[in-house]
Amino acid sequence: MNPLIFTTILMTVLLGTMIVMMSSHWLMIWIGFEMNLLAIIPILMKKYNPRTMEASTKYFLTQATASMLLMMAIIINLMHSGQWTITKVFNPTASIIMTSALAMKLGLTPFHFWVPEVTQGISLTSGLILLTWQKLAPMSILYQISPSINLNILLTMAVLSILVGGWGGLNQTQLRKIMAYSSIAHMGWMTAVLAYNPTLTMLNMLIYIMMTLTMFMLFIHSSSTTTLSLSHTWNKTPLTTTLILITLLSMGGLPPLSGFMPKWMIIQELTKNNSIILPTLMAIMALLNLYFYMRLTYSTSLTMFPSTNNMKMKWQFETKRITFLPPLIVMSSLLLPLTPMLSILD
Amino acid sequence: MMTYIVFILSVIFVVSFVGFSSKPSPIYGGLVLIVSGGVGCGIIMNFGGSFLGLMVFLIYLGGMLVVFGYTTAMATEQYPEVWVSNTTVMGVFLLGLLMEVMLVLYVLKSEEVGVVFKFSGVGDWAIYDTGDSGVFSEGIMGVAALYSYGAWVVIVTGWSLFVGVLVILEVTRGD
Repeated sequence: MNPLIFTTILMTVLLGTMIVMMSSHWLMIWIGFEMNLLAIIPILMKKYNPRTMEASTKYFLTQATASMLLMMAIIINLMHSGQWTITKVFNPTASIIMTSALAMKLGLTPFHFWVPEVTQGISLTSGLILLTWQKLAPMSILYQISPSINLNILLTMAVLSILVGGWGGLNQTQLRKIMAYSSIAHMGWMTAVLAYNPTLTMLNMLIYIMMTLTMFMLFIHSSSTTTLSLSHTWNKTPLTTTLILITLLSMGGLPPLSGFMPKWMIIQELTKNNSIILPTLMAIMALLNLYFYMRLTYSTSLTMFPSTNNMKMKWQFETKRITFLPPLIVMSSLLLPLTPMLSILD
Repeated sequence: MMTYIVFILSVIFVVSFVGFSSKPSPIYGGLVLIVSGGVGCGIIMNFGGSFLGLMVFLIYLGGMLVVFGYTTAMATEQYPEVWVSNTTVMGVFLLGLLMEVMLVLYVLKSEEVGVVFKFSGVGDWAIYDTGDSGVFSEGIMGVAALYSYGAWVVIVTGWSLFVGVLVILEVTRGD
C-alpha cells in the first residue's frame, strides 16, 4: 500500500479511538466508532488474499451490527432523558442494549464467535492492532457508563467469556487463535470487576495490552504462526524461547510475574464485595487458560519438540526490527512488586 | 384522514423498508428506496422540518440514489430478481407485510401500545400545529449552528468522508 495512504488510514484509526475516548456527546462517540471501523478494514486486508477478505468482511459485519445497536441505545436514552451528554444511562432498556453492543465490539461471550476467525485470517501485525488497540474504545465507554450497567448481564457475560476463552483455546495449535481466545478470557476478567471498581478494569487492560504486545512481537520476531513453527525458535534465537516462557506464564497469571497483579486485585475486590463463589469460579477457569499457555511453553522452551531432521533449521529471514521489545518484556514480567503503587489511584 | 397522515406515511415507510430488506435485485431495491425516501420526506415535513425534507429529496434521492442507480445499472445481471421471481424473496416480503399489518391492527384496536415507549392510540400520531414556530425555521437555524458551534462535527464528518473514499479505493484496488 502507498505509504502516505497507509499512514493516513492508520492515523484515522487512532483518531477514531481518540474521538470515542474524549467526546461528551453520544453522537460523536458513535462517529468515532464508525471512523475506527472504516479505517481499520484496509489495515486488516493488507495482504490481499481471500482469507483476509473474508476476515475483514466478518469483522465489518459484526462491528457494524454492534454500532447499530449502540445507536439504538443512544436514541432510546435520548428519548427518555432528553439530552445527549454521556453520563450513566438511566433507562434500563437502553443500558442493556448498550452493554450488548459494547460486548459485541469487545468480543465477549455470547458475541465472541468472530474473534478467533478474524484473528486467524489476518497477518500478525494486523492481529496485534485488532486485539490491543481496538479494545480501548469500547472499554472506555463501558468505564463511563459503568454505574448503570445491569450487574446480572455483565457478570454472566464475564464468567461465560472466561469459560469460553479457556475452553475454546484448548484445542488450538494456531498461535493467532490462541491469542484470540486469550483475549476473550481477559476481556471477561476485565468486565467482571467493572461494576465494582472500574479502575481495576483499566489496570487489567493496561497489563493485558503490554503482555499481548510482547507476545505478538515475539511471534513476529520468530515469524511463527503455528505451535510447530514456534517450537523451532530454540534453533534460531535461543533467547526468545526464555522470553516466550516468561511472558506466557505472566499471561497465565502466575506470581511473581506481573500478570498476577490484575487477577489478584480483581479477586480481592470481588471478595471485598461479598461474592465468594464468583471469584473462585473465575480463578478455577483461569487454569484452563494456563493449561494451553503451559503447552506452548512446553513445546517451545522446555523441550526440543520432535520434528524430522531436515525441519529443525528455520530459514533465516532478515531480522525484523521490533520496536521496544526489551522494555515491553521487562514490563510484562516484572511489575508485580509495584502493586502498592496502586494506592495512588483515586 | 389528514389527521392521521403521519401514521399512514409511517406505515408506507415500513412497507417499503420491508420491500428492499427482502433483498430483490438492487435495481428494485433502489426503486423502493425512492418511495421510502419520498415518504420519509413527507413524515419530516409534517413535523415542520421543511428544510430537512428538501435535503432528503435533493441530496439523498437526487444525489446519492442517482449514483447508486448508475452503478447498479452498470453491474446488473441478465435476469434480476423481483419480489415474485424467487420463493424466498416473496416469502420474506409477505412475512414482513404480515407483521406490519398485525402491528397496525394492534395499534388501531387497542388503547395503549408500549414497545419501547408508550403511545396511546392513533391519536398520538396526529400533529397539532401549535402555531408559532418563530420567524426562523428550525432546519435553517440548525445548519447555521452546524457551521458555527458545531465546527468540530464538520471537521470530523469531512475527514470521515475523505478517509471513506481512501478506504474504498484501497479495498477495491486489490494487489
